[in-house]
Amino acid sequence: MSDVALSVRNLKTYFYTNQRCNKAVNGVSFDIKKGKTLCVVGESGCGKSVTAAAIMQLLPRLSRIEEGSITYHSERGDIHIEKLERNGKPMRSIRGAEISMIFQDPMTALNPVFTIGFQIAENLRYHTRLRGHRLAVQVVELLRTMGIPLPERRINEYPHQFSGGMRQRAMIAMAMACNPKILIADEPTTALDVTIQAQIFELMTALKKEHGTAIMLITHDMGVVAELADDVAVMYMGNIIETGSVDDVLRRPIHPYTRALLASMPVLGRGKNQSIEAIPGSTPDPFDRPKGCQFAPRCPHRVAACEQMPEETFATPTHRVTCWRYEEFAADAA
Amino acid sequence: MLTYIARRLLIIVPMAIGISFLIYLALDLSPGDAVTRMLNPVQTVDPERIEELRRALGLDAPLVVRYWIWFSGVLQGNFGRTLTGGVPISRILMERLPATLELSVVALVLSSIFGAILGTVSALKRGSATDNILTVAGMIGVSIPEFFFGLVAILVFAINLGWLPVGGRLLPSYTTYWDHIPNLVMPALVLSIMMTAGVMRYARSAMLDTLSKEFIKTARSKGLPEWRVNLLHGFRVALTPVVVLIGFRLPILIGGSVIVEQVFQWPGLGHLFVLSVRNKDLPTVMTIALLSVILVLVVSLIIDVLTAIIDPRVRLGGE
Repeated sequence: MSDVALSVRNLKTYFYTNQRCNKAVNGVSFDIKKGKTLCVVGESGCGKSVTAAAIMQLLPRLSRIEEGSITYHSERGDIHIEKLERNGKPMRSIRGAEISMIFQDPMTALNPVFTIGFQIAENLRYHTRLRGHRLAVQVVELLRTMGIPLPERRINEYPHQFSGGMRQRAMIAMAMACNPKILIADEPTTALDVTIQAQIFELMTALKKEHGTAIMLITHDMGVVAELADDVAVMYMGNIIETGSVDDVLRRPIHPYTRALLASMPVLGRGKNQSIEAIPGSTPDPFDRPKGCQFAPRCPHRVAACEQMPEETFATPTHRVTCWRYEEFAADAA
Repeated sequence: MLTYIARRLLIIVPMAIGISFLIYLALDLSPGDAVTRMLNPVQTVDPERIEELRRALGLDAPLVVRYWIWFSGVLQGNFGRTLTGGVPISRILMERLPATLELSVVALVLSSIFGAILGTVSALKRGSATDNILTVAGMIGVSIPEFFFGLVAILVFAINLGWLPVGGRLLPSYTTYWDHIPNLVMPALVLSIMMTAGVMRYARSAMLDTLSKEFIKTARSKGLPEWRVNLLHGFRVALTPVVVLIGFRLPILIGGSVIVEQVFQWPGLGHLFVLSVRNKDLPTVMTIALLSVILVLVVSLIIDVLTAIIDPRVRLGGE
């Protein structure tokens, strides 16, 4: 277990709105490994971001972790994050220092009325003993590492004076300030240009290599997955329906949903006439879920057994899938 | 910033002149003039005597000429004399202005502080009993007129309980500045009720809006304690719209004090204003109206500069 930074087991997170319960995350298990990137993919609303928020204990007020465990394997021993008080001191000392997060839209994720330097320094001020001049030097150094030109001048600028890509770099500088063990990136490049996107990913990969940071990258871009992931988890309606190494999941996908997801993407170089298969139907209403397998109503391979929820099963030691017919599909995938 | 302020000040001058002319025109169009007021309604007076009096007071000259005489006087700090009593208006202003400023400033400070604090508390505890009580209290404060609160306060605290004086400001028996503080308590509190309610409701919604922003989540994800997330990252951003609101209430506060000063017999500008309108004392009415206008213009400039100071995104005059 020593190479695992964080393990999540059977995590259930429910939202309570208008006296109804939305089982946003309904029993997910996965590991984030040290120095590796885990990509979590899935459609909007499948529970990716909620899972990330649960790990950080940053869930909205009307939601809570219902069941399961989130174990952070720190240097001081295992810490059960799900048992920590949301904004209590132990949780806060982990947040931003050992597990940190970057968000989707750097335009809104930085506070408009404080300088970039102040916002980065805040992180260091709360988690390290750096003060005064040495603190300022460290902030400049961080921005320089993130590839921001003239950092001495830019620390005194406000977020609106930064371009989108620069803001995301500043966000990463903030997240990486205390050399966290785990970095959670919630669609960090969705709001950026494609060229900037590549730069940001390059930066994240470099940081991963240099510091051995474990990365959990939430995305819905399969291209990004192919590029960056070591492991992949595919989520659908609050469950991980398939997970494994990137080779397993992208080259030998078993679950019909994963296959449909891959088939729905255009591939560069195949010309204009390639058929892009949209997934039929739409995601079910979270308050009116199918009884068994959540994907069954949209699945072309549905059988009677799909009325029951299948167990998570290991197709190979590294490849786990939640489907009744996994053996047949695994055979034809190989 | 300095060029912007200078430019704005230059714009204020023609605006003030224009408005002063409109004030003069409007009051000139109103029925009757000072002379009709001076006359005893019981006695019949010779119309020729009336005309004589008009000429003596310069009321027979054309509108523009009369305006110019008045306005050039104002520029030299000579606001004329009251028609009832013949006292120089500037002297009356000097007596009245401190009373109004005292009342307004105390009410403004009280309402800004309490409004901002209560609104923030309400937002942070949204959905709780505290929030609901404050919201209902806010609605009541905004919708019930000040004179009602004033009369109730007089009845309860002055007449029934006898804790505070009914009204007035200075008495001959008062020797030190602090003696009249009990007189100030009720008018200041009543004047600040409505504004506290307004500021509170506004601060609550601004704060709720800010707390739902992504950067609050970022702040929390850095492991900052809740007070710092809410007050530094939340309140600091929510402050901008609240400051604008408070600033624009400043002239309303002077207008609002017309009623409160009347209820509590507070010898301020509002009290004087009502008195002068009743006596058709046009020079005094014009002077007070002109002062209010200039105050509004200056305050709006101050607010623009203030917002630019608190919010770095605001750049004045397209710099």
